[in-house]
Amino acid sequence: MGVIIPLIFLGVMGYALFKRVKIYDEFTAGVGEGARFTLSVLPCLAAVFMMCELFEASGLSAMLEKTLAPVFSAFGIPKELTKLTLMKPFSGSGSLALLTEIIKKYGADSYIARCASVCFGSSETAFYISAVYFAGLKKKRLAIPLIIVLFSGFLATVLGCQLCKFM
Amino acid sequence: MNFIFTAVLMLSIAMLAVVSPESALSSMLAGAERTLAVCASLFAIYAVWCGLSRVAEKSGLSAGMAKALMPLTGKIFASQNKNALEYTSMNLACNLLGLGGASTPYAVKAVRAFEEDGNFFAQSLLFVINATSVQIVPATVIALRAGAGSASPSDIFLPSLVCTVFSTAFAVGLFIVWTKLKKFKGRKRFKKSKGQNG
Repeated sequence: MGVIIPLIFLGVMGYALFKRVKIYDEFTAGVGEGARFTLSVLPCLAAVFMMCELFEASGLSAMLEKTLAPVFSAFGIPKELTKLTLMKPFSGSGSLALLTEIIKKYGADSYIARCASVCFGSSETAFYISAVYFAGLKKKRLAIPLIIVLFSGFLATVLGCQLCKFM
Repeated sequence: MNFIFTAVLMLSIAMLAVVSPESALSSMLAGAERTLAVCASLFAIYAVWCGLSRVAEKSGLSAGMAKALMPLTGKIFASQNKNALEYTSMNLACNLLGLGGASTPYAVKAVRAFEEDGNFFAQSLLFVINATSVQIVPATVIALRAGAGSASPSDIFLPSLVCTVFSTAFAVGLFIVWTKLKKFKGRKRFKKSKGQNG
């Protein structure tokens, strides 16, 4: 698998050379585009991260976790995974840290760790993606698509926890 | 987003005002600081992949690939916008290959290109597909489990694949149904509901 990335680079560069593209000039221009993208998402990310930090610091997130644990259990999601399930839509690095912790605590081949791995791999950080994709657009009618994404992510987690019992 | 942001922010701050007023400012600053760290890694990803994608674009490589996929993507995303469809196909291709970093810049470009036509359907559909994850091999998780001494680190491959395919298919289906319903409801009621959703 690891060889894919070098091959892609070699392939694209080789083809561009053949087509007489000024590779350095275009590559630099591309990096410039990247810099502008980064700047355009910065304000949205700052606002979202401030909100997340406050939410965590105020103890509201721990309260939410406590309230939702029995609800999640009713759907077959182990209570050890409540925090991961809640964290995943908001923060990729945060949920990766949680996953590492869970794997260490319960052992890589335990049911809990396998469930956590499946849940982590089967969804994305929806809030982060929405902030990045829709930064700088005038109309942001995102509510319904976001709800749909979160709902399907939740169902996938429920499904994952069942599948891990026998797969 | 305006509603969520305001509600969560005010509730949290109100709570903090009671529990520990001095940590309100420091957590906001911590959040802003984290933004810089994330933006730094985001820029690193963009610098590599935007650079390469620009070279691929100028050589006509991505246009060629997009053209091959055009009948399919054009129909799914209800668009004739060549640039937008080009970015969309590259985004989907990168996703399937598991190049998460490479797919993001294409998605951002595609969303902005669809904006020219006011194609909200295509923008949201692309968001729904990306946000439910379409990765085939969960490489990070497998590496993590191997590092933690798992007997067979890749045995989560099958359940992960089932879950990710399910979540994407379900979300796309639900989104299409919602779009159809919205059209069906008619303009007047749509305007009303839009006020509530926003």
